[in-house]
Amino acid sequence: MKRRGTGVGCMFYGVGNTGLPNPAAAFVQVLGDTSVHVTVGAADIGQGSSTMAASVAAETLGLNYEDIHVVWADTMYAPEGGATSASRQTFITGNAVKNACTQALGELKRTASEELNVPEEDLIFRDREIYSGKDDSIRMTYPALMAAMGKKGRLAVGAGYYNPKTTYLDPKDMSGVPYELYSYATCILEVEVDTDTGEVTLLKAVSAHDVGTPIGIKMVEGQIEGGTAMGTGFVISEKIDIDPKTLAIKNPTLSKYIIETSMDVPVVYPIVVSSEGEAGPFGAKGVGEPALIPSIPATVAAINDALGTDFTSTPIFPADIVKAWKEREAAAK
Amino acid sequence: MKEYAVLAQDHVKVDALEKVMGTAKYAADYQMPNMLYGGVFRSIVPHAYIKKLDLEKARALPGVACVLDHTAIPGKNRFGIIFKDEPCLVDDKVRRYGDAIAVVAAETQELVQEALDLIEVEYEELEAVSTFERAMEEDSPKVHGDTNVNVTKHLEYGNVDEAWETCDVIVENTYSTHILSHMFIEPDAGLAYLDEQGIMNVIASTQNPHYDRNEVAALLGVPQNRVRVKQATTGGGFGGKLDISVQLHCALLALYTKRPVKMVRSRTESTMVSSKRHPMTMKCKTGATKDGKLVAVDCYMTCDAGAYSSYAPAVIGRAPVHIVGPYDCPNVRCHAVFAYTNNPMCGAFRGFGVPQAAVCHEGQMNALAKALHMDPLEIRMINAHHVGSVIPTGQELTESVGFMDTLKQARDKAAEVMPEALERLKPE
Repeated sequence: MKRRGTGVGCMFYGVGNTGLPNPAAAFVQVLGDTSVHVTVGAADIGQGSSTMAASVAAETLGLNYEDIHVVWADTMYAPEGGATSASRQTFITGNAVKNACTQALGELKRTASEELNVPEEDLIFRDREIYSGKDDSIRMTYPALMAAMGKKGRLAVGAGYYNPKTTYLDPKDMSGVPYELYSYATCILEVEVDTDTGEVTLLKAVSAHDVGTPIGIKMVEGQIEGGTAMGTGFVISEKIDIDPKTLAIKNPTLSKYIIETSMDVPVVYPIVVSSEGEAGPFGAKGVGEPALIPSIPATVAAINDALGTDFTSTPIFPADIVKAWKEREAAAK
Repeated sequence: MKEYAVLAQDHVKVDALEKVMGTAKYAADYQMPNMLYGGVFRSIVPHAYIKKLDLEKARALPGVACVLDHTAIPGKNRFGIIFKDEPCLVDDKVRRYGDAIAVVAAETQELVQEALDLIEVEYEELEAVSTFERAMEEDSPKVHGDTNVNVTKHLEYGNVDEAWETCDVIVENTYSTHILSHMFIEPDAGLAYLDEQGIMNVIASTQNPHYDRNEVAALLGVPQNRVRVKQATTGGGFGGKLDISVQLHCALLALYTKRPVKMVRSRTESTMVSSKRHPMTMKCKTGATKDGKLVAVDCYMTCDAGAYSSYAPAVIGRAPVHIVGPYDCPNVRCHAVFAYTNNPMCGAFRGFGVPQAAVCHEGQMNALAKALHMDPLEIRMINAHHVGSVIPTGQELTESVGFMDTLKQARDKAAEVMPEALERLKPE
């Protein structure tokens, strides 16, 4: 018999290390032709921290995304980036890039102010132009600004770092400020369970994530889709088996450790939710780990809803489902 | 949301083109003139003293440049992101299946394997500790030092013991989550060489290049500015490439041979020795009023963290802070104990203990909803974090709390794309 069930899973996630300093830094230089070097320590493992760094630099400097070249994760040239972990690089390296660019903007603003006769605080840098926020007919192009910088012998360079505002936690009761900001998520997921074979078919998943300000929409959606695949697989297909005698992993290969394929994942509807805040760069928060989390409890709940069971342990494999269903039927009789 | 010039839209990722074109250089793709291949001789027992280690036959094999054990290490031989408790090469005892005992560098990968096969070892086996329960017993063998307790944490907020009296409903359940593998698509790999200035260069698949640099410097006993770690294009990690993998072994072999040494782990070796997700057991008691307001949560959390600490101290710090989930609750206790065993090392894995905590707190919210005949979305909305909420460490949330919007937007989208599924959530 096939039975359907729905589950809800929510989470919050503190971005960065728990109650510990975890700074990251960035270097920036705007070159004479308005192209830019940004150097960060953050390791990009495919999640997009370098794309994030380019985006934040372009937004801060008022240049285009394509103007920015990012060098990353080479300790000879790049300052400390800390680990690519704890969903922290958008928040922390992002703020470091913003701070480095803000420093570089110092000389750029001074020069533009002199050239345009506009007070520094009224200047707006956007889309490769500099103009007065009070009268946007007073404007100059970025290349013209860099030419003026060159004539005056000024360089647009910056170094910045950021360390989240946290406190050490009290060893007695863990009181304190463990994280400066938190990401949030809700997943609603539907499954179909075959009570004869124990097979779980993942039907649809809606997963809504508060990321503050999304740096890139598709990058956030990609994280949510990938995270949902990993989270549902956590419950119904992935498990390390350990040999009881040697304590070796018995299934260290992809043929024996089953991760979901495109045939297994549910249809995912990612929802990018924004919220207002000052802590992250332009209000951005991390989504790398939050993307995974809510689909795990949602899958457990959906299976329980389909069968009327009370699974509280993972994984839930077909044999577990068949056994639980038989017990439930026997109890009903 | 503000109107941005660059953000909140889509740009081609900075590394997209080389990945699509197949020109991105992963660590295994690097080749250098005069390069050697490296390999690791590993334990096939979980807990043992090494009585005898014979490297001579392997050293005598033509084409083998060098075979080293721990005595070759010029600097430190204890590593780890938080506690330095893992050796580069075993010097006192084997603590898990797959512990590194010796390293080989040879002209070809085939010769590396031949040399590894010629290494002889005699073990004096010890009882292996394979469960949290056994680890905690007084007479159990100790994996490190004189206790198997790796880390403990205690969170206490409000007054849990007095709170139960004011609850209309209490649910108690025990949750357990299992051990998982990251299965990042690219197995660990790296290359080390001394450059013309005598600086040790390491190119590696990693999530943590600055940490790697510091560990390589400690191993070699040189200043940190005499080591360069460059991240190669990296095929995923999910936390599994935060610990040291091939970096130390490659650097040690490059130091002795004065030649570039490359190591590429097979899928099997990579999965065997990289960190795993912490399996946790959470015994949890949760109380609420009849209108669904959380009153108290008390959780006892245990975990078999495996043979080395890795990120266990981070996971045990994070999980208790998140044990209630994104909900207001005035009385919270969480006591957590992580133990050393001779099982595979657990470490960082996407979520750092929060996925485990979420299985618990969401299970409890559903149990409460069931007991109170409430819609599971409704009970979450009643308790949802908002600006001004105080979490169980006493921290007040002052901005950027979008939880209620995620609940509402998920519900609205579900009403559109899966209306029957949403309907099913309503209490009978």
